[in-house]
Amino acid sequence: MSRLTITLTINGREKTFRIDPGEKLLGVLRREGYMGVKKGCGSGDCGACAILFNGRAVNSCLVFAAKADGGTLITIEGLARGEILHPVQIAFLEEGAIQCGYCTPGMVIATVDLLTKNPDPTEGEIREALAGNLCRCTGYVKQVRAVQRAAELMKGGETHV
Amino acid sequence: MTSVQTYQRPSSIEEAWSLLNDGGKSAKLVGGGVDVALFAPPEILTLIDLALLPTRSIELRSDGLAIGAGVTLTDLLESPLAAAYLDGVVVTMLRQVAAPLLRNAATVGGALASTHPWSDVITLFLALDAQVTQYSGQLQTSSLENLMEQRGTIDRTIITEVLLPIPADDVYASFEKFVRTGFDIGMLNCACRLTMNGDRCESGRIVFGGTPDIGHRLEAIERALAGARLDDATIDSAAQLARQALALRDDVRASAEYRRVLAVAGIRRCLMRIAQRVGE
Repeated sequence: MSRLTITLTINGREKTFRIDPGEKLLGVLRREGYMGVKKGCGSGDCGACAILFNGRAVNSCLVFAAKADGGTLITIEGLARGEILHPVQIAFLEEGAIQCGYCTPGMVIATVDLLTKNPDPTEGEIREALAGNLCRCTGYVKQVRAVQRAAELMKGGETHV
Repeated sequence: MTSVQTYQRPSSIEEAWSLLNDGGKSAKLVGGGVDVALFAPPEILTLIDLALLPTRSIELRSDGLAIGAGVTLTDLLESPLAAAYLDGVVVTMLRQVAAPLLRNAATVGGALASTHPWSDVITLFLALDAQVTQYSGQLQTSSLENLMEQRGTIDRTIITEVLLPIPADDVYASFEKFVRTGFDIGMLNCACRLTMNGDRCESGRIVFGGTPDIGHRLEAIERALAGARLDDATIDSAAQLARQALALRDDVRASAEYRRVLAVAGIRRCLMRIAQRVGE
């Protein structure tokens, strides 16, 4: 097996990694310390491992790390600016849209993707955007409210990404 | 664990083809990578990623809506050109395919090459008489219908583009899918494209997929629709034909008996939707 060298811009910083050819981004990111990228199902069903890859939310468990070479990634760790949380993170806290927290990074990433493209989503559009993010603690009412609140915050001028 | 030994990212289609030939059956093409990441068999040693090929454009040309194989399902769903095509039937279908996290990665070429029997993309594109350009030493274009008939060798060719023919003003299309929960793999899907002359149907393409076999035309309904007024009686006849003529089987998602009920509802809804649009 010939190991590969790839370069990724993660949360604004360019980094170089040695990877196995068949490795997925999820494994590489967690190995490199981005533990906010959660491992859930490993088969693209739960969304816990979602990251922004070149601006779009994807399941990192289904992206070959070699495919991402030269790309730009944003993980949950890259959303806050210092101590200042991203408006989506603030909204999830304010609305109590966090139970055990395992699904939350993926939910937040999917929300950032949605609101970047659609600043004023309907409830149906929110539910569609979060359809690939499963929460096993409870239902999705508070998450939907949180996305609506985040949209209000971002319309007020707060954007990070 | 993965058996993959090398990961290649060719920048030209000729290079990709050469790598595919060199790798033989141990080489596999990667579009968005979603399917390959999930289902690559252990004998695959080489992955050939097509992401660097210039196949990511969506263009309206004189012969149709040309969709590069590397276009993601999200790119297509968000394309104004797709939204304007046949009253947005492509967008209607794509909104029901998987969830956004998967649509953001999966490509149009991959959606065809995966040949999943439940594929909504294949069912609708068959109804729209999509033409597919592939490279296997040279570029050639064939109908998606032909490509699906020879799908056993589809992984030995590189899909570069899908063309949805320009419809005339009197062409209408509709898509219907039945799922247990939103964004699930469907229990059955159905798509229609009709050429109308007033309220009469001149010709049509009727496709059912996830039966649980891959999308295929039901010519008995197409023949019955040709020349008929698209009214309640014709729609009843088409539904009756779907009940009688469609080959259905049980699988983990639904029984054949239940699928028969869905097929009747699916063709009825598709045709009623078109009849309503014709009347507007």
